[in-house]
Amino acid sequence: MSGADPSCGATGDVHAEGCVTCGDAAAWMRVVTVDAPNALARCVDDGGRGETVATELVGAVAPDDALLVHAGTAIHREAGAPAQRGLR
Amino acid sequence: MKFAHEFRDGDLGRALAAELPSLLEPGRTYKLMEVCGGHTHTIYRYAIEALLPDGVELVHGPGCPVCVLPMGRVDDGIAIARRPGVILTCFGDMMRVPGSKGSLQEARSLGADVRMVYSPLDALRIARENPDREVVFFALGFETTAPSTALTLMRARRERVRNFSCLCNHVLIEPPLRALLDAPGLQIDGFIGPGHVATVIGARAFGFVPRDYARPVVVSGFEPLDVMQSIQMLLVQLADGRREVENQYRRVVSWEGNPRAQAAMDEVFSPREQFEWRGLGSIAHSALRISDAYAEHDAENRFALPGAQLADPRECQCGEVLRGEIKPWECRVFGTACTPERAIGACMVSPEGACAAYYSYGRHQPVGEAGLSR
Repeated sequence: MSGADPSCGATGDVHAEGCVTCGDAAAWMRVVTVDAPNALARCVDDGGRGETVATELVGAVAPDDALLVHAGTAIHREAGAPAQRGLR
Repeated sequence: MKFAHEFRDGDLGRALAAELPSLLEPGRTYKLMEVCGGHTHTIYRYAIEALLPDGVELVHGPGCPVCVLPMGRVDDGIAIARRPGVILTCFGDMMRVPGSKGSLQEARSLGADVRMVYSPLDALRIARENPDREVVFFALGFETTAPSTALTLMRARRERVRNFSCLCNHVLIEPPLRALLDAPGLQIDGFIGPGHVATVIGARAFGFVPRDYARPVVVSGFEPLDVMQSIQMLLVQLADGRREVENQYRRVVSWEGNPRAQAAMDEVFSPREQFEWRGLGSIAHSALRISDAYAEHDAENRFALPGAQLADPRECQCGEVLRGEIKPWECRVFGTACTPERAIGACMVSPEGACAAYYSYGRHQPVGEAGLSR
């Protein structure tokens, strides 16, 4: 259950995993690199999908931290924890 | 119980289900409302209702922001999108939501520049890349999503991206719950609380439910065993005569929530006096507008909007579904005139909507074939 399909509504694919708008699609991602001055982190999910994530809401992050990411923004952090498929 | 497969274990689910009958008072019916559309999706996808004993009924609440958005706000977005020089950005969920004269997707097919984004930060990037265009983000969602919009507006102001604005439709979870609980005749015994909203506002934010309405709340995660355990915790509270907020989703949700997210929302947004909800009517202080400090990024200041309040289509019963008065399949147009491919009501548009979730999973699943272990 990782990742959101932002086109789920547009395509009529109601079998999509969840809805980004309401937060069900929040997904765990692992921090790869950190851009601290801009409060950004490059992250990947366990499927290898990469995304640049805003980190202001979770404070300082470090590589290998696990972030719960919703709509491009981290809303929860677990220091050093491995991001796992679908851990929501 | 940390990893996903452990939260989908069919044996554990059936073991939990086997404990439930002993918690029930003979002859009593228990109605439990899952507030969040994500939970609705899980309940149908994994056929959780088929695991529940007779007498326990799940009622689907108003927690899908796409589903509760009134048609007039969709029309406002379309009016902006049709203006020359505008790029309107929105989440994919929003594209097919019907307004009074079509959807954003239809507006795009007629030439409007409407683009799907995954994050409001993507919308801000589009604004940076198109300085000669007005870029508008159609902001939508509960407290889970609002911080992301807030951060984006803070970045826009800091970076002086003046061609970026938001049409703010963010809503709050407490006022509609109060509206439901204040409604005469509502028979809800307990609430499955929205886990990711609680990540931001904290489990404590639901304290008003036991305090003011004497109902228990269990803040829940989104895997099937999360939901099953939350149902069990609610039934234990009811059996014990307790009415409390409990946190099933402790691996993510804290009592206090995320203070940084709350501060960002406080800086960027102010409460609206009133906001219209599909199916629930106008509810005071139930939504957010962009604060005066960020007024330059408020699309409602930048563009003239129709601002119409429109009734839902007469044949649509989304309102009754959202109030838990009828089940999706009891709507007169469910599965016939209204399907995910040609939706009349918003509950059929979003995959989190009760009608779409039931259409996709429930009606194809014979009762008794629970899908936890799929």
